[in-house]
Amino acid sequence: MAPITAPSHLANPLATSLQLETSSSQLDGVPSDLEDSVRYETARLIQTAGILLRLPQEIIAQSIIVLQRFWVGPDGGSMLECDPKDAAAAALYLSAKPSAHPVSPRQLLTVFDYLAAIRGDFAAAAAGAGELKPDRHLSEGDYEAQRDRLYKTESCMLRVLGFQTHVALPYTLCINYLQALEVFQTTEGSLVAKRAFAHLTSALLSPQSLYLTHQPSALATASIYLAAREVDVKLPEVEWWEVFDVDREELGFLVVALTSLAGFAVEENRKWGRRMVPLTTEELRAEIERQRMLEAGA
Amino acid sequence: MTSRWADSAEDAAEDARRKADKEEKKRVKAKKQREAEEAQQAAAAAATTQTNGHAREEDADTERPAKRRRLSNSNAGQDTPTPPERTLLRAHVPPWQPCRSVERFDRLNHIEEGSYGFVSRAREEATGEIVAIKKLKLDPARDAGFPVTALREIQTLRAAKHRHIVDLREVVTGEGEAKEDVYLVMEFLEHDLKTLQEEMEEPFRPSEVKTLLLQLGSAVEFLHAHWILHRDLKTSNILLNNRGELKLADFGMARFVGADPAPANLTQLVVTLWYRAPELLLGATDYDASIDMWSLGCIFGELLTKQPLLQGKNEVEQLSKIFTLCGIPTQTTWPAFKTLPNARTLRLPTTSSASTQGSIIRSKFSSTLTNAGVTLLNSLLSLNPANRPTAKAMLEHPYFREDPRPKPTAMFPTFPSKAGQEKRRRHASPNAPMRGAAPGLQGEVDFSSIFKGREGEEKGGGFALKLV
Repeated sequence: MAPITAPSHLANPLATSLQLETSSSQLDGVPSDLEDSVRYETARLIQTAGILLRLPQEIIAQSIIVLQRFWVGPDGGSMLECDPKDAAAAALYLSAKPSAHPVSPRQLLTVFDYLAAIRGDFAAAAAGAGELKPDRHLSEGDYEAQRDRLYKTESCMLRVLGFQTHVALPYTLCINYLQALEVFQTTEGSLVAKRAFAHLTSALLSPQSLYLTHQPSALATASIYLAAREVDVKLPEVEWWEVFDVDREELGFLVVALTSLAGFAVEENRKWGRRMVPLTTEELRAEIERQRMLEAGA
Repeated sequence: MTSRWADSAEDAAEDARRKADKEEKKRVKAKKQREAEEAQQAAAAAATTQTNGHAREEDADTERPAKRRRLSNSNAGQDTPTPPERTLLRAHVPPWQPCRSVERFDRLNHIEEGSYGFVSRAREEATGEIVAIKKLKLDPARDAGFPVTALREIQTLRAAKHRHIVDLREVVTGEGEAKEDVYLVMEFLEHDLKTLQEEMEEPFRPSEVKTLLLQLGSAVEFLHAHWILHRDLKTSNILLNNRGELKLADFGMARFVGADPAPANLTQLVVTLWYRAPELLLGATDYDASIDMWSLGCIFGELLTKQPLLQGKNEVEQLSKIFTLCGIPTQTTWPAFKTLPNARTLRLPTTSSASTQGSIIRSKFSSTLTNAGVTLLNSLLSLNPANRPTAKAMLEHPYFREDPRPKPTAMFPTFPSKAGQEKRRRHASPNAPMRGAAPGLQGEVDFSSIFKGREGEEKGGGFALKLV
């Protein structure tokens, strides 16, 4: 079978091993675990902002992947040159722009300003517990300055990505595969689908950048495998994943990666506690300095 | 870390030092990576040369046998036939990398200026290849950042790799101060159909029209199959090289559309006026691929006559020209017509005689087209979008199978390229026959005397030369 060689609705460009080995931020001196924390936090920031902007999950997922592509590799964007929160805003702006749900710079910046003010408690904000009132607005001066920065970050991001903003997502494939496996004919069918979707959405936050290393078909297959086991729905007793072009090894790797995500999130929570994950270059420099002093002291 | 209050010269020096440092680190990393890969390859090569199976220990790590779960042990004792190797579909999409510099190209000459870009011909220094480079007109304040049209053009062109769609090779940027400038590097073709037709003495021949239309149709079919609407099909966006190959270009209006449900609220401000479908002129915002098919119909007519088919000066005149050519829509021919936003303000003639208000396409083209050809043109120019054929259906139309057959692209005539700055050469000797219909002989020509005296010799089954 001829391989797929152009980006399509089924296939993404993936990160090269050189890109995965190091990043521009690490070369600038950001420790890799701190980098993981910032990537995790910016992905959550986008997810929450997307919910507040009432954007479809499709666009939210695309922008998280675009941001991950931006951070990765020695030629990628550095967190010490570009404020992580600005990069998150630009990724969301850029992904929404050509879609059926574009957002205006004012809407976007107001939401990011609000999220910067409530810092940290994204889950509550996404659930609507926050106080994002319609009369909240940026002063004209702030707005213009932030808007110009948004445009600058957007164009920088496009240059770093070589304008590769195409993202294929696994969600629709996942439904397709579940239908092919006749899962919806069982009573728990829709529960399996919900669990699988939840895994796919969580995988966006993975420190392993799973969406940069695996094609949508593999992610969809692994999410189904895991969801079916959790809900205890029987799948065919054969190597059904091969039908979806996933081999056993890749499936195993992804299932482990998906399962390990909860542990990572708990650890992040514990590590940062009430402290804020740095989201600007200035905060990041301060945090690196703090860690250095702690180490020197110990 | 430098102090914030350090003077700027020191700052700059520090910046430069950091940059150099980073470059060095990058280089070292890349080198290590290369070495690791080479070592791996060497190890793999070493492993394959060891034929007797005594693999060294370190090779055992990299050369793990593929694990395959045994699902049943029922016939473990017997000789199990090994199942055929199942091949899995693999995707190898090229990875992304930062935009390279436009300085790798020597600009040769300017080709044209479009609504949002300058196009020039250029040569890639490293390979000597000739390309077309389009510099995008960027104005962040006006376009709210990077223009959405350019973003869509890049995305749709990347998704549309097809032999009759122009190849977007890469996106490059300026250097230093000009790093915000963005250029699209595309393959270069000698002609666009509009300029070419203006230079040609005679319209394309029927066999050539068929070939052009088939190529264009296959490009449009591909786009529609990939959920892309072009939304600006016209002769100036259709390129032709000297090998008779046509390629569709300029995706500045193109966009992805889902199928089910089709997105509502698309902009009606698409497609150059002369090629714009009636439903767009009437304000529809939920249109589909059939607007491209209308444009194809307009292009078909233009190729036959060398003249744009419907040259309205404004929307109203355009619509009136359409109705003059294609007839007045009625409740039966286009039921949804009345529901379109701008249809309410229209006042159409009330008599409903088909003879006075039907399409005049047939009579207009009966001298240049066969019956099948007229049928195809008529269907492409159906007022009711639902009656237009899909691109796929168009390609299967009998018109393309009847004589004259589509001319092989290799047999296409060549023309001097305006974009390539070629001039028509003037020769002292008589020109080779010009392409197009053989020129008729002007006025009364008397050849009666040249065979005089031969009549006696040449009798019976000879041939007769007939001059009309």
